[in-house]
Amino acid sequence: MKMKNNTKLIKKFYTTASAIILVFMLGSCTKEEFNPASMEEFSLYSLADGTSYFIKVAIPENYNPINEKYATIYALDGEENFDFVANKCKEISNKLAVSNVLVVSIGYGKDRSIDYTPTKVSSKTGGGPQFLNFIETQLIPKMEQDYSANTTRKSRVILGHSYGGLFGAYAFSVKNEIFGNYILLSPSLWFDNLVTFQMEKGNRENNKSRKQLVFMGIGEGENSGRMQAPFEAFYQTLRDNYPDIKLDKNRVKNLDHLGSKNPNIVKGLNYYFQNR
Amino acid sequence: MKLKKITFLFLSFMAYTNSFAQNNTSKIAEKKSTVRQLTIEPGIGIHTNFGTDLILSNQIQWNPNRYLSLASYTSFNINNPFQRDFNGIKTNYDYSINQKIGIGTTFYAKKSSHTFLLMAGVKYSSFKETIDDPNFNKVSASINSFSPDYGLMYSLKKGLGKYFFTYRMYVPLYPWPIKGSDSNYLDGNLNNITLEVGIGINIK
Repeated sequence: MKMKNNTKLIKKFYTTASAIILVFMLGSCTKEEFNPASMEEFSLYSLADGTSYFIKVAIPENYNPINEKYATIYALDGEENFDFVANKCKEISNKLAVSNVLVVSIGYGKDRSIDYTPTKVSSKTGGGPQFLNFIETQLIPKMEQDYSANTTRKSRVILGHSYGGLFGAYAFSVKNEIFGNYILLSPSLWFDNLVTFQMEKGNRENNKSRKQLVFMGIGEGENSGRMQAPFEAFYQTLRDNYPDIKLDKNRVKNLDHLGSKNPNIVKGLNYYFQNR
Repeated sequence: MKLKKITFLFLSFMAYTNSFAQNNTSKIAEKKSTVRQLTIEPGIGIHTNFGTDLILSNQIQWNPNRYLSLASYTSFNINNPFQRDFNGIKTNYDYSINQKIGIGTTFYAKKSSHTFLLMAGVKYSSFKETIDDPNFNKVSASINSFSPDYGLMYSLKKGLGKYFFTYRMYVPLYPWPIKGSDSNYLDGNLNNITLEVGIGINIK
């Protein structure tokens, strides 16, 4: 009798545990997808670094290339972030009743750590200048020619997370004339002994009179000993030295490096749509 | 890929321990030597973030009957103790304190017992970083925060006497699925799986 009860208890336990694990696994598999009917894809060969990049473009509802020019968000780590960014742009622009943007997903070329880092400290870093050159001289002109993208600096946004955020800060510092808006999420500003700070300082005189919008986001739980202080320092540098900047920052409560990404994308896009 | 690998390893481990427990339950059901009513289990451990955190912990477990287990778990985590200077960024301090309670069940084998618990509680984290490089302004950032903490605990007790060997594995679930349900929200969890060993003391 006792053994029978034990067996029942064990069975109940396994059923409950299996259900929890199943829910856990199913939940972790969910991923937002953008409507493929509103999307176009192509590959673009980079003359600067000899790599092909897979590009996806989210087309706004009621897209009217003849009469309208569209602001453009260039999303780094496009294979990871495109669907989420494109869906949120649609939601936010609808909510605010403002014109939506073209979202351009830039896929991986050689390696993200090569493409997104500004200096060479190993064989896996230092392709940032070539990648930025590719965006400036090939991708942006193609978007303007084929997709009715607005040609002004203030209508271009770059959005990046982690090394992508570092690349955004690098673009801000050394080629500020390309983008007028920067969404920098958990930027790896620690890279190469804070080299981006030196680049920012070196180009500050040229850049500080330009109008720009910068949103910086990070997770409160990013305690790897390298993220928080540079984040704060870069924020303070921009706040104190750029009189024409629209600047905001956000620390997502209780979330870490990856967990804070999507909440900060939403915050950053809202800030952009409300302040552009 | 990393998520799949860790999930596979975790499920394999669970399956192994479960089948082990199940096989042995019937054989030694009446043995009392591994049945303990109240234990204190201090331990030391690491997180799965490449072993860069040091954990000092204690679990008090009370089994009101053979298959019902209640536990209180406390830990003090010293985070990144071996890397306090990185690229001119100094970590002034970095620690967290966890307090959780849990409910679950225990299976008994010949010389060991296996407890599975659902735990919930609170975590306090505090850290401060400073840019400490003569080429840059000295800028600090500090974080002090409370967060929920819930997850699954597996506890192994091996030995028959008053003192016994303990091993614990805690898989945190928060912020999943409260803050979000995609795999991004699990990344931190996979880095913060707790692995601990210690010596348990049988009180009752």
